[in-house]
Amino acid sequence: MFVQKAKSKLWIAWILVLPVLIIRGFTVIYPIFETIRISFYDVRLLRGLNQFVGLQNYFKVFTDPKVLETIEFTLIFVISSMTLHILLGVLLALILNMKFKAKKFLRTIVLIPWAMPMVVIGMAAKWGFNNEYGLVNDFIRRFVPNFELSWLIHSDTARAAVIAMDIWKNLPFFAILILAGLQFIPTELYEAAMVDGATKVQAFFKITLPLIVKNIMVLSIPFTMWRLASFDIVYSMTSGGPGSSTELIAYRITTEVFTNLNLGYGATLAVLLFIVMVVFSTTNLYFINKK
Amino acid sequence: MRSNLFLVILLAGLILALVNPGVMAQEYDLTLYSIMTTDQDFDDWLADLEKETGLKVNVIAAPTNSDTRQQKVTTVLSSGDSSIDILEINDEMSSSFKNTGWLEPLQAKVLTDEIIDYFPEGYMEDMITSRSGDIVGVPGYSGYLAFWVDQEKLDKYGFETIDTKEDFIAFAKAASEDGNFGYGGSWERTYVFNEIATFVNLFGGDYFDWTNSANREAIQFMYDMVHKWEVTPIEQIGDKYEQMNQKFIDGKYAMIFMWGTGTEYRNAGRYGEDQIHIAMVPEFETRSIFTDSWSYVLNSASENKEAAYKFLQYVASEQGMLSAWENFDRYPARSDVAKKLPDNEITEMYNRYSEEAVVRGRPMVPQTMEFITQMGTIFQQVMQNQITIDEFLVKAQGFVEEYK
Repeated sequence: MFVQKAKSKLWIAWILVLPVLIIRGFTVIYPIFETIRISFYDVRLLRGLNQFVGLQNYFKVFTDPKVLETIEFTLIFVISSMTLHILLGVLLALILNMKFKAKKFLRTIVLIPWAMPMVVIGMAAKWGFNNEYGLVNDFIRRFVPNFELSWLIHSDTARAAVIAMDIWKNLPFFAILILAGLQFIPTELYEAAMVDGATKVQAFFKITLPLIVKNIMVLSIPFTMWRLASFDIVYSMTSGGPGSSTELIAYRITTEVFTNLNLGYGATLAVLLFIVMVVFSTTNLYFINKK
Repeated sequence: MRSNLFLVILLAGLILALVNPGVMAQEYDLTLYSIMTTDQDFDDWLADLEKETGLKVNVIAAPTNSDTRQQKVTTVLSSGDSSIDILEINDEMSSSFKNTGWLEPLQAKVLTDEIIDYFPEGYMEDMITSRSGDIVGVPGYSGYLAFWVDQEKLDKYGFETIDTKEDFIAFAKAASEDGNFGYGGSWERTYVFNEIATFVNLFGGDYFDWTNSANREAIQFMYDMVHKWEVTPIEQIGDKYEQMNQKFIDGKYAMIFMWGTGTEYRNAGRYGEDQIHIAMVPEFETRSIFTDSWSYVLNSASENKEAAYKFLQYVASEQGMLSAWENFDRYPARSDVAKKLPDNEITEMYNRYSEEAVVRGRPMVPQTMEFITQMGTIFQQVMQNQITIDEFLVKAQGFVEEYK
């Protein structure tokens, strides 16, 4: 009787959900299909072009030196940043998990960079890495008085600076999430290990790491996806320069679509990034379900 | 009963949300997208305009970042968005948009025969007249990529004026000491275009012909400034105008090319005959200088065209031009109005520029920003010794053929 009554009122639930479904359909599903469609066209608004070119845009991607350099830096950015996120994130989480007086205070202030908008950080970093006015070189000069380096004008150092800023901002959040995992490990396990004569290093590798490795895996996938789609740091900090050595793929897509108005080519790059994101997303779901 | 009440509240909320923007929009006659909102006298200028036209203007501030600004304008115009009626756009944007049909022709109602002759003819034709002959913008002012020098440094190194290429090099060399440089630039890849084109002009070259030997001389000259004479720092390839101006104000540079009438230096207390001031552009092979403007344009999708025409008639009028001069230090685009300005060092030098120098509009193509970025990228590569000057010239010519 109760189930029947509940079923008869199911339409109310559908009505309430319907606006969300329509909005999501219009703002997500429709743009995806429209982007895929446009990727088969050469659409250049400023030249009045709009013609079907089949897979030509897709072939062009893999011979376009600008895009290849962009893919190269995107891979460097994602791999370096994620490696350092994992290594330093676990280290920071372990520090935050230790028992000391200022623990709560440290846990609070460590999140400040993460709470700041990336665009603000990027603009500040542009000045921060300046040879004349930057606080980075000012700090280094306290130890190396004649130190001179314009970080953002050399490809390698500009790339390093972008990666460093990404880690500076996002590492605390990663560490706090790892810390949550650490706090679920029963202290009895460590006590038993100590009784058996295990050192702290052995306890880390035999107890801590195996128990948080799934957390690390599950966290790494969305963090990798965010790195892949990262745009604002480069936009505000280097504008992709020097040359195009710090262009990330999302930045190139934005440039092609909104600055150059090459909608077809920009859509092609977006579709390729979308495919990569789907792969990561599926992997993420797999790990979450497995957990 | 409770669920019905909830539905009613939900519906009422939706209706209010849909109706409210309409109510807001009706409070104004038109919406202006302006780059001048950060100017301290913007409110005075707007009050003048509203008083003279009787319009109530809603103002949307343009982002200060040039990339963001351009992307926002492009999105509004290309999508047929009618929420903004009047926009301020620069030469890069006007040369890109003038043939797209996104901008309303203005010769019939704004730039009529009575006033059109007062505007700079060559500039109007090159920058804001479409292929079909429609004039699509009202220049808000006439600007120059002026030559600025630090008088303290001129005095210190014993120079009276910088009048020739030889003076330029000698002063640059003399002023390059103690971590300071004789010449400063803004060589970020989308900004450096202005300086490349300026030196090409000074050497008598043609920006659209990189087989021209004068173009090679210009690039070689800029390369030598960095690597041979060391009179300008390679670090400036990361600098936009804000960084370059800060360094100039701080005394790191002795001379630069810069737009505007020196507002930044005035605000920093560094402007004056004995400090930073405008100067005559030196003569290399030619004495060339670029002119520019930001133009007011009317969005074709605007639903408030009559109000917009009224607005544009005002900014194109003598009164509108004088208000822009008084509030923004913008030199009038109309020659008849410019003649009525009181004499000062800026108006005097602007008059000299127009009489003694070869005044040119900047070289633009339909896909200007893409072209500018490509050229800036290879310029940075040649300055960093990643490619040779010969390779630069070949690539530059390739970009000209691709985009022109």
